[in-house]
Amino acid sequence: MEIHDRQADGVTILSLRGSIDAMTAPKITEFIQGQVSRGNIKLVADFSGVDYTSSAGLRVLLGAIKETRAQGGDLRLTGVQPDVLKVLNLSGFTNILKMFDTADAAVASYS
Amino acid sequence: MVTKRDKPRIALVIGSGSVKCAAAIGLKKVLEREHIDVDMVVGCSGGAIYASLIALGWSVERATESTLRMWTREVTAKRSTRGILQLTLPWVFKFDESFGLIDDRLINRRLHDGYGNAIFADTLIPLFVTATDFYSGEQVVLSEGRIEDAVRASISIPYIFPPQKLNGRFLIDGYQSDPLPIGVAIKEGADIIIAMGFESPYQEHVTSLMRYNFQIASMTSNNLLKTNYAFHNLAHHSEIIPIIPEFKHRIKLFDTDKLPYVIEEGEHAAEQQLPFIKSLLGK
Repeated sequence: MEIHDRQADGVTILSLRGSIDAMTAPKITEFIQGQVSRGNIKLVADFSGVDYTSSAGLRVLLGAIKETRAQGGDLRLTGVQPDVLKVLNLSGFTNILKMFDTADAAVASYS
Repeated sequence: MVTKRDKPRIALVIGSGSVKCAAAIGLKKVLEREHIDVDMVVGCSGGAIYASLIALGWSVERATESTLRMWTREVTAKRSTRGILQLTLPWVFKFDESFGLIDDRLINRRLHDGYGNAIFADTLIPLFVTATDFYSGEQVVLSEGRIEDAVRASISIPYIFPPQKLNGRFLIDGYQSDPLPIGVAIKEGADIIIAMGFESPYQEHVTSLMRYNFQIASMTSNNLLKTNYAFHNLAHHSEIIPIIPEFKHRIKLFDTDKLPYVIEEGEHAAEQQLPFIKSLLGK
């Protein structure tokens, strides 16, 4: 799992590449917690490089959503691939997460 | 590794979905080829049929053949005179919880012929079949006694088949309490849960009371599937791997002629998730 971050208009864009599962979940959680502790609470996760998410992945997402929202921020998604979208749909996450077609649209949604 | 145990316990959960559940045979084929042993099998409704065949260790050919014999259009062809009378004159013919529009004698006979007198203790892999208590709405997990009774209870589609009376309880279709009973596998101590689920199809046209009923039932069941799936994913300590076959053609209740296609799609869906299953197992 590779994670890179960049800033755009006060929003932190996280680009993830690989699978989100029990083995990679701790690294992602740690990365997001690091961002939040630095005050970066407006997050956009670019999932265009994520090919799979398991139950551990869903738990990571939920943790990040709760943590950022509790501080007035959010975690929004972009570039969600069909296989991952299927899991998000099935688990009802599409009802609680904001998703956008492009990273620009996700960043703009914060303004 | 996902667990501190030397070898994670693997569960296979097969949800409701009528003939589509035969996709589980394709999934099992892939697991067998990769020498991935399953420690328990859980099935609900149509999934209960395939869960039991897998647990009994039947070959793909035998499971397919058995489905073709058991599940044909004839099993719902004969209306139940009692059910119709109960519906039209409920006070005279005493409408009660045993109501069903279809005469269930043929399906009961087919299940008996299919399973013989097999009991849960005969299975090679521990088997759990789910049904729903008609009066409390609770999920009932069946793991002992005759397999045919458990499967019959699990496939008691409301309005169609009368409930199955077992141990003093009236049991109806397992999908009424949970269309994909992952919770059973969690409770039984599974680590890695391979869950094959299906959303209920919506009607293309609603032209009868029965189709209207199926439409409402699909909405309820699909929403229940999602809610429970979310809860189980968040509650489980380890991994749940969803296997969701995609069918390009609509598979109807008695489309057993499409079994080879359904099995193939199950195999295909399993192949897609195989890399993740193998990496979890350190293979």
